[in-house]
Amino acid sequence: MSGLFDQFKEWYEKRHDYARAWKGRTGGQVVATMCTYTPEEVLIAAGMLPVRVLGAHEPQNVTEPHIFGMFCPFCRDSLAQGLLGRFDYCEGVTLTQSCIQYRQAFNSWRMHVPTVKWDYYLPMPNEVQSRFARVMHYAEVKKFREFMEGVIGRKIPDADLKRSIEVLNENRRLLRELFEFRKETNPRVTGVEALYASLTAQFVDKEEHNRELQRVLAEVAKRPNDREEGIRFMTIGSENDDIAFMAMVESVGSTIVIDDQCSGTRYFWNEARVQDDPIATIADRYCERPACPTKDYPAHTRFDHVLKLAKDYNARAAIFLQQKFCDPHEGDYPDLKRHLEDNGIPTLFLEFDITNPLGPFRIRVEAFLETLREEELF
Amino acid sequence: MYSAGIDMGSRTVKVVFVEELKVDGAPQLKWGVKGKHIMFPEDLDADQAADKAFDEALQAAGLTRDQVKRVVATGAGRKQVKFASEDVTEVSAGAKGAVFMCPAARTVIDVGAEEGRGIKADGDGKVVDFAGNEKCAAGAGAFAESMSRALQLSLKDFGEASLRSDKTIPMNAQCTVFAESEVVSLIHSSTPKEDIAKAVLDAVASRVTAMARRVGIEGDVALIGGMVHNVGFVQSLKTALGVDQVLLPEMPEYVPALGAALIAAEGK
Repeated sequence: MSGLFDQFKEWYEKRHDYARAWKGRTGGQVVATMCTYTPEEVLIAAGMLPVRVLGAHEPQNVTEPHIFGMFCPFCRDSLAQGLLGRFDYCEGVTLTQSCIQYRQAFNSWRMHVPTVKWDYYLPMPNEVQSRFARVMHYAEVKKFREFMEGVIGRKIPDADLKRSIEVLNENRRLLRELFEFRKETNPRVTGVEALYASLTAQFVDKEEHNRELQRVLAEVAKRPNDREEGIRFMTIGSENDDIAFMAMVESVGSTIVIDDQCSGTRYFWNEARVQDDPIATIADRYCERPACPTKDYPAHTRFDHVLKLAKDYNARAAIFLQQKFCDPHEGDYPDLKRHLEDNGIPTLFLEFDITNPLGPFRIRVEAFLETLREEELF
Repeated sequence: MYSAGIDMGSRTVKVVFVEELKVDGAPQLKWGVKGKHIMFPEDLDADQAADKAFDEALQAAGLTRDQVKRVVATGAGRKQVKFASEDVTEVSAGAKGAVFMCPAARTVIDVGAEEGRGIKADGDGKVVDFAGNEKCAAGAGAFAESMSRALQLSLKDFGEASLRSDKTIPMNAQCTVFAESEVVSLIHSSTPKEDIAKAVLDAVASRVTAMARRVGIEGDVALIGGMVHNVGFVQSLKTALGVDQVLLPEMPEYVPALGAALIAAEGK
């Protein structure tokens, strides 16, 4: 790291300190959010700080009474953070419907984390391709707004919603500008740096995050692009904030140039199409975003989206970072693997848990690199 | 000139030298094994172990360092071999060595102490695809070793005993420790040792067959790694794969070192 991304790194490493300081500074409420389908626009317009719940990647022993051991490690790690009091500064917790394992983690959180003062489960149609989906989601986002008005004891004016839509759209636009640098040969932005930027967008005050993105964008263009890129990888999966893993991959002769993950592009890829009605703007945006596998049927829209990302960013190969027991992604895996490989993108499958064995993973990534670099090796 | 492969394993260091052979009437180069050597390091100083093993191997093969044009390292400690010009993973080295020893093999199953692995290779021994067991010993040699201890049989007797059984007892546990509990239950229910041995080896064979199926089984199947010596496992593997024959290379412990030596010899 050259230091250019140090602020993002510090925010990531001290995210709880950041949220507490924000609260002390503004007097606003902090909300623990689960899943990137959460319409943060409403929370921000209510004067709150949405903070995405991320795991800690350390062994834990507190979730067994609440959810099954064969639930995905990200859900278990997320719930553990709540049960361990790491989010004790959050008044609220909210989940927008995505997968059933996440929902049970959320339910255990709201029942068993003693510092929770309010909670909200936002139903969202999984069949977003249905012609009724937007109508239903409109009604649900409207209800969410009304609920939040009850929490803060005042109306949330349309103007405030429009302002938060603008701020979030700017954040999405700036992140995409940053990711543009990853298209270059010998990209000036590494996968680790990009991950710090996209992850912190999920829990830092958006206006502050936008200012930092603008500062970095002004500087990054001056960076020399002299880091040998090696093999260009794409990563695919659900959540991934395993910085140590990403750094390992980029230390053995490769660069991660793009992702299809909810810790990365799926969170910010599409801006909201601004309409007169801010609720319609918000509801449609989440129905139109690049789909998570839980919301990608009957047509598999994400297969071509993932392939296009790989092509646009000139990824030579892809690594599936499969959260163990994540049924939606496991269900997509065989067909998506075939779709990529039929189109010239070889793949590697790695199964992720709360803690990951970096040594064996390194051997597999290096062996995969060897298959891609045959001409040099043999 | 000669080329060398050095396999820095977790318990042993293996060195193989290959030499260029001129085959009458054949324009292409061929390689032959000039020498092999195995060393059991007395301590864990990997730097010294690599040097010592290499010197011993040179002496055993009657070679000097000057005669070795290129060294490629492999194995868990491959980065510690300072005198190697390159290093490759055990996956690439294993496939290369296995296809050299068994030219018809396109599927290589590698069952060592700590990891089971299925590899699909092409005719040059290059890896096309591979899959390994995920954070679990149940598809690895250590599992069989642990179960043989529970049965109080030597590894050799353990494999041979399983051949005397015609029973199929499913092992339900996927975990080594829980599987040991199942073995203890079977012992308490007076199940003959040979039937238990076969159940254990069937379970390991089933796990590695699943890995091989993940990458797709093509051509002949070669088995490398320490489990080559376990006759019962070889039989269980044949049954699990549904094949009449599994190719067993000579000197199975040296296959990755040989593969590394061949990569060194063929290197540009």
